[in-house]
Amino acid sequence: MRFLLLFSLLFFSSCKEKSATPPPKPPSTAELKRFSYYPAGVLKPSTSGWGRKGDNYIYAPNIRFPIESAPAYLNSQVYGIGGLHGPKGSLCDQRNYQYPWRDNYCETRSWSMPLCPAGKGHQGVDIRASSCEKRKYYAVAVEDGVITYVGKYSVSLRGVTGRTYRYLHLDKPTLRVRRGQQIHRGQRIGLVSDNMGSTKTSIHLHFDIKQTIRVDGRSKRVYIPPYSSLVDAYNRLLQGRP
Amino acid sequence: MKLLFRPLFISTILLLLVHANSGILEISWPKPNPKQEKPSIPYPKVLTKNIKNTKLPVYIPSHYRYDKKMSVIAGNYFYTIIFEEGKHIISIAGDRTFQEERPANRDFEKIVKKSQEVEFTQEEGMMSADFNRHGVNYSITVECEEPKSDPHCTSELFVTNLYNQLIMVGGHP
Repeated sequence: MRFLLLFSLLFFSSCKEKSATPPPKPPSTAELKRFSYYPAGVLKPSTSGWGRKGDNYIYAPNIRFPIESAPAYLNSQVYGIGGLHGPKGSLCDQRNYQYPWRDNYCETRSWSMPLCPAGKGHQGVDIRASSCEKRKYYAVAVEDGVITYVGKYSVSLRGVTGRTYRYLHLDKPTLRVRRGQQIHRGQRIGLVSDNMGSTKTSIHLHFDIKQTIRVDGRSKRVYIPPYSSLVDAYNRLLQGRP
Repeated sequence: MKLLFRPLFISTILLLLVHANSGILEISWPKPNPKQEKPSIPYPKVLTKNIKNTKLPVYIPSHYRYDKKMSVIAGNYFYTIIFEEGKHIISIAGDRTFQEERPANRDFEKIVKKSQEVEFTQEEGMMSADFNRHGVNYSITVECEEPKSDPHCTSELFVTNLYNQLIMVGGHP
């Protein structure tokens, strides 16, 4: 019964979605041909930490890609060109806006992350939109759900699956959502920017996923590896079926 | 007619497969504490009204229990309550669902089995405390205007205080 209810909810919400947001741009076969990516857990450079190599499992199946339009570039902010520990240069260097994608989940951070081989690391991934311009590209809902949190620089969406998706660094004054708002897959949340309160950061979307795992009656809510789910979502976006 | 129902049938099967591993966590309900659940001064309507259908124990830090400006977002099996306090925002969330049972990856098993009563973690721009109580997963987070220098987000002290003053204010089986 629960599945039927969930199905009806998804079915009818997808009908509503069409009227709430403009249709996605037509798929670009050239972009699809260009798109390439390193396997999950292969971080760059080796000093940037240890990823979960070989973990290609899609933990959040069938989510929509969190940036409305392609191209988008999933790669390191900290170790990319112009980043805090990256080669000297501009954060807007064109080489940061190129394929192949590189996983940056578990990239070196001081934060505890038991799922990372080092026990510490980045809890999500950083994604650049098409170009190095803030307040131009929309972050969108990856699934139907409710906005459970709007903070100073983060927005949380709790999907109908129970997963929580966190979007960081969106431009606060132009946010399209409020706390408690029901939201549909693909609906606009806010513009990708460099907002981190009074702390400086680069123009990008930090995106992470939390879900509950149950083993032998015990459970825990953890940040799951999002990379493979995003590769899958991006492929679908490029094929015109986001 | 067949053409109409075939995609519906396939979508239903796909959804069943996707969600086959998910569900609602069983919980052991705490003994009622009338002083906390029905205090002498009534809790703000924004709280009582929004959590009336919530089927898990609803905890909040006692310091904020009469804050009329709190934001409450709740469903049957989850809630998030947010308190604004100048340069930082405090939230507490409880969730009674699970998305994956016995994941294929052994690391998850280890993590679940090794988990502590409460775990304090510095996150991207936040400090958090995650804990499991009565079988439900809860998380307290503090988001700061200046995450790299504000002690609310760089030290565990503030979030520990919030954790230590949790009281149950509602929820029912």
